[in-house]
Amino acid sequence: MKCRVCRGPAVIDVRRHNAGFCREHFLKHCRDQVRRALDDLAMVEPGERVLVAVSGGKDSLALWEILGHLGVPADGLYLGLGIGGYSQRSAAATREFARSRGLTLHEVDLPGDHGFDVPAAAAATRRAPCGACGLSKRHLFNATARQLRYDVVATGHNLDDEAAVLLGNVLRWETGYLGRQCPVLPAAPGFARKVKPLYRLGERETAAYCILTGIDYIVEECPMAEGNRHLGMKAMLDGLEDRSPGTKAAFLFGFLERGAPRFAEASATERDALGACAECGSPTTGAVCAFCRLRERAAGPGRATEKTASEPDGAAILEPDGVAVPEPGAVAVTLRSAATPASG
Amino acid sequence: MDGPTTVLRLLERLELNPESVLVIRGDTLVTRDARLADDDTVEIRPVTSGGAG
Repeated sequence: MKCRVCRGPAVIDVRRHNAGFCREHFLKHCRDQVRRALDDLAMVEPGERVLVAVSGGKDSLALWEILGHLGVPADGLYLGLGIGGYSQRSAAATREFARSRGLTLHEVDLPGDHGFDVPAAAAATRRAPCGACGLSKRHLFNATARQLRYDVVATGHNLDDEAAVLLGNVLRWETGYLGRQCPVLPAAPGFARKVKPLYRLGERETAAYCILTGIDYIVEECPMAEGNRHLGMKAMLDGLEDRSPGTKAAFLFGFLERGAPRFAEASATERDALGACAECGSPTTGAVCAFCRLRERAAGPGRATEKTASEPDGAAILEPDGVAVPEPGAVAVTLRSAATPASG
Repeated sequence: MDGPTTVLRLLERLELNPESVLVIRGDTLVTRDARLADDDTVEIRPVTSGGAG
């Protein structure tokens, strides 16, 4: 196979583009896709402060590297989830990436700063761990960005992630989620802008980007994600993609262009019900936000293990974001931040 | 596994979806039509992550 651009030997095939690329032109392809996402959707304005949510995995580290390459300065935020050796190894990969490039990395530790970890949250709520994990991430990324005065939170969600979430939401007709599934969620009182600059790249491409640029990401999968619903959606979409290349991109991009506007009203209806959390000030649909309720159950003195009638199954993970709410007060986040000068 | 073969045939034999993996030979990637010799050693790296953010 030859590179579509220079006709030299290809190192990767990207079937949805019906193309092969050599190393040089593949890296350019990836950076061009991110540049296009940033420009088309006005993700970052000049002078804005960007915080990248980094996990040590391929997507977030590739995103951090590409933003730097494109001249979009960004600091990193690592969230320690307390998932045993996996968390230790992902933290080590993230710190080494930041150290070797002289980047600033902030860290928040769920067990150390909030008194519980993801396995404890899953046990306390008797729910799948990915629900508690996603809820904690969304809350703490936003809360930290607000506390440290960042304008934008950038996450490493890629085309595969977005297509899988879309499929899950379509299969259950989650109209509220469909109304706000977008690579950009605008800033609003209580919310930093959230952007997903990798939404035009598949995860096969982000992994290849890391391998070809020598980014030492954590390859192992989170042990708590094994067999989850999201992976099931991805496997189904990969099956379709193998038979019909371009299916995932057509599904996602077609939805964003022609489907999402039809669900905007459902999202706006939920927005009207948001207020400020009595515990931490974050936007919430109830008196206390889902994260503070989760913390109370997982780490509180009366650590609950039973669902109550007033907190039905599912309530803990329904944390709306990216919508207008009254300005809440300050939030409590403990940080260990460090500018990490490059060695040499 | 006996060679020579192609990356795509190897993945088919292993019942792996080419959309879900990358194949690495030495220090670089190889495309699905690349030929593999008897004594080649390759790494097949899964690329699917389970977190949805």
